[in-house]
Amino acid sequence: MFSLALKNILFYKNRSIATIVLTFISAMLFVAYVSLMDGSHKSMLENSLKIYTGAIEIYKKGYRDIGGNEYLIDDVEEISKKLLKIDGIEIFSARYETYGLLSNKEQSAASMVGGVEPDKERVLSSLSLALIEGEFLKENSKNSIYMGVELAKKLKLHVGDEVAFIGSASDNSFAADIFKVCGIFKTGLFEFDSTASFVSKNYFDKLMNSKNRASYITIKVKNLDDVQKVNSEIIKVLNRDDLESLTWKTLMDTMVEAMEVDSIFGYISLSLFLVVIFFVVMIYGFVNVSSRIKEFGILRCIGLSKSKIFLLLFYEISMLSTLAIIIVAPIASYICYHYSINPIIIDGIADMYKDYGIVSDEIPFDFNMFTILRNLAVIYLLNFLSIFYPYMYINSFKPIEASKHV
Amino acid sequence: MIKLQHVNKYFYKNEAREIHALCDINLTIEDGEFTLFSGASGCGKTTLLNVIGALDTIDSGKIFFDEKEISLLSEDARTTLRLNEIGFVFQAYNLIPVLSVEENIGFVMKLRGFSDKEIKKRVLEISAMLEIDDKLKSLPNALSGGQQQRVAVARAVAAKPKIILADEPTANLDSKNSQKLMNMMRELNEKEGVSILFASHDELILNSVRRVVKLNDGVIVDD
Ligand SMILES: Nc1ncnc2c1ncn2[C@@H]1O[C@H](COP(=O)(O)OP(=O)(O)OP(=O)(O)O)[C@@H](O)[C@H]1O
Ligand SMILES: [Mg+2]
Repeated sequence: MFSLALKNILFYKNRSIATIVLTFISAMLFVAYVSLMDGSHKSMLENSLKIYTGAIEIYKKGYRDIGGNEYLIDDVEEISKKLLKIDGIEIFSARYETYGLLSNKEQSAASMVGGVEPDKERVLSSLSLALIEGEFLKENSKNSIYMGVELAKKLKLHVGDEVAFIGSASDNSFAADIFKVCGIFKTGLFEFDSTASFVSKNYFDKLMNSKNRASYITIKVKNLDDVQKVNSEIIKVLNRDDLESLTWKTLMDTMVEAMEVDSIFGYISLSLFLVVIFFVVMIYGFVNVSSRIKEFGILRCIGLSKSKIFLLLFYEISMLSTLAIIIVAPIASYICYHYSINPIIIDGIADMYKDYGIVSDEIPFDFNMFTILRNLAVIYLLNFLSIFYPYMYINSFKPIEASKHV
Repeated sequence: MIKLQHVNKYFYKNEAREIHALCDINLTIEDGEFTLFSGASGCGKTTLLNVIGALDTIDSGKIFFDEKEISLLSEDARTTLRLNEIGFVFQAYNLIPVLSVEENIGFVMKLRGFSDKEIKKRVLEISAMLEIDDKLKSLPNALSGGQQQRVAVARAVAAKPKIILADEPTANLDSKNSQKLMNMMRELNEKEGVSILFASHDELILNSVRRVVKLNDGVIVDD
């Protein structure tokens, strides 16, 4: 059977080449599409996160895993003095984050309220740039609150409106105040826009009893390429077992991973894509096999069993798809790799899709060998699945009818 | 030995255009026969060959192939029967285009699990007898109609089936080639003891066979 399959492939060259090309194209498209999707998705998340996440952040060990007031940094001043001596740091700032309830007359919503140092944040993060209405916090802003657009919508708040805050202070005592909305921001990151709000740390510290305390210290380095070096130096200079200093890569990875889980949209469009590929491959296989009904009919008449016919088709498709996949694997990998390093640039796309969290004109691919191999395997498998229907179709003919088929 | 008892075969059964292709056929074919089914076009010759060759099903009656009743066999069992016991010579040659003459002739033997050595020996023997031994490496579409017809016969004969069913084997041949083919078929029948059944209205075949079964509209009218 194997040698007959091989001879069929060699004899019907056009058909074989068409099958290989079709497999090649669908595998190529699929791999590139997934890579582009993953890549732009990841960069979208990263870009959005960069709005708020620092290049390096210093935490008390335990804060990130457990959280709570026990794991606050409680000697911000002392740490600050040490950080000032480090050359690679451009600027740093302490943030105090807490969860509380914001309410107007009708609605309430949970919010992550961050006490930030407005002047430093202007340099440090793009929080101030995400402003869409009103103005950013000022150093001496008293009870002003700067909030995410989705949160404001939920609470039906506009600039100038008042909102009540209830939470627990850093010493676990009860804290409540009335804030006035000074500005509204939009990062495009839905989670963030619908939960985060910010208050000047100076003012917030009095309310929360958090002077000299911080959830973490965020740091901007002079040159992002040196982030690893600067981080090592920070760890050396601080020389403290109870603190951890992490670069954005580590911080972001955990966050990106957590957020990717709910990218349902991606999976839907992906499965649509697969269905299309499956039908293209199957219809092609079907047309192919239909044109060979006579051939199979003759074989059946002579005495080839159904299972041998299946084996014949199976050998043919395995040889062709294997060849196609072997050709496509290095090319597809290279393309993904190339565009992951040199992203495609589409001028103006960031402006157009700002609302969806796209903040850069660069659209990078994602280069992940595991994903690429998995996707190739999927196409390979689809090729095999696609022979079942045509096989059933040829079996629906009696051998004698099939052998007369034109 | 093949025995048909009260065999009926319809096409489009229970439809307005119903065709009663075989009517109450009773027929015994002994081993080693050299027999022709003759009759006008559309009388049921091909249909008769097909049901004997387990290629087509019947609507009533019984067909015994030696002791086996064909109509009771499963599709797979009938395929096996065809492979092991019957050689087919189709009107349209039906050679496998991707295989060389040599491979075509040996194909059935290969399916039946003969060793390569046995196949080679038999292919040489048969092809010499049918005078196609100089074409063994060619592909079928490089041969003339007469040569292809002989390859088809060689394929049917090679695996030494009990019986060969040949439908219009001379339809595409000129009289000289037809005569040659018939001489060889006769030789095969006598030398190797294979039963051969023809379906044809060719005078030439009529003159070479030992028994003629005449059909008319699905009925045996003369034997
Ligand atoms: N697959 C089929 N479907 C429907 N009717 C068929 C089929 N095969 C044969 N018939 C009909 O059955 C009858 C007998 O056909 P058959 O092919 O056996 O004739 P034949 O004697 O071989 O004729 P010919 O000499 O032209 O080959 C004809 O009336 C034909 O129309
Ligand atoms: Mg006929």
